[in-house]
Amino acid sequence: MNETKKMMNITMLVAIGILFHLIESMIVLPIVIPGFKLGLANIIGLITLYRYDNRMMFTVNLMRVFLASLMRGILFSPGFWLSLCGVTLSTCVAIVAKKHTQMSIFGVSCAAASAHVIGQMMAVSVLYQQLLLGIWMPSLLLLSIPTGLCTGYLANEVIKRIHGKERV
Amino acid sequence: MNKADKCMICFIVLFSLVSYIPFLIQMTKTRHLKKEVVVEYQNEEVLRKDLSENATYTLNATLGDVIIEVKDNAVRVEKETSPYHLCSIQGWVNNVNQPIICLPNEMIIQIEANDETNEVDTIIQ
Repeated sequence: MNETKKMMNITMLVAIGILFHLIESMIVLPIVIPGFKLGLANIIGLITLYRYDNRMMFTVNLMRVFLASLMRGILFSPGFWLSLCGVTLSTCVAIVAKKHTQMSIFGVSCAAASAHVIGQMMAVSVLYQQLLLGIWMPSLLLLSIPTGLCTGYLANEVIKRIHGKERV
Repeated sequence: MNKADKCMICFIVLFSLVSYIPFLIQMTKTRHLKKEVVVEYQNEEVLRKDLSENATYTLNATLGDVIIEVKDNAVRVEKETSPYHLCSIQGWVNNVNQPIICLPNEMIIQIEANDETNEVDTIIQ
């Protein structure tokens, strides 16, 4: 893969990621648990991890959070730090899980989703100097399993379909 | 899905159940104590009232007024200005572990148990 093509791929993935991120922030879910989101943008992260490499997943995820926050006008606000902490931890966990365990994309996705929850909790605790929202952590972790499986399934389907059609 | 995936899911479930235990213990401990509503705005305490007094308080926050209602040992945000109104959707809250957080307004509404041992604990923290 030459440099230009790689850059194009990153750009496309970041663009789709931003789109998912923005759409997701517009959806107000009927379940009232603070911080609960579907994690649609995680699909892009997973596709990047499985189709390309670890470094590219980091780039795509971090750029996605930065640019989407900039577009929403919440750059460097508490919401942005929560997003950034969650995404950093979940990316690290996904990379480690893929490299050192025998888990399939479903397990990696679940691990990443729960790591996102834990990362956000850590950010909230540091920002407000106390364990707020801690009561929601168990329920958020439980909810991260269905959402993780869902994003894993979607990423898996996408990877299956683009496999072979495009030569990297 | 293979075996490792199922192990991961079981581990997450187990972890979430274990992390709920401390909150359960604290909830049963503080059930019969006298409670207070504490409102913080931009990390500073702006209001501290008894939870057994029925009243409505109006406070100034980042995006506008926040109206807090205290009734029958529970508290809620009655009205506020924010994009999704998440804190008023949350409704009535009556236990110490469940703060109402309004991020757009930079406001936190918490219930604290008024107890000697608890106060000592906060100082040590």
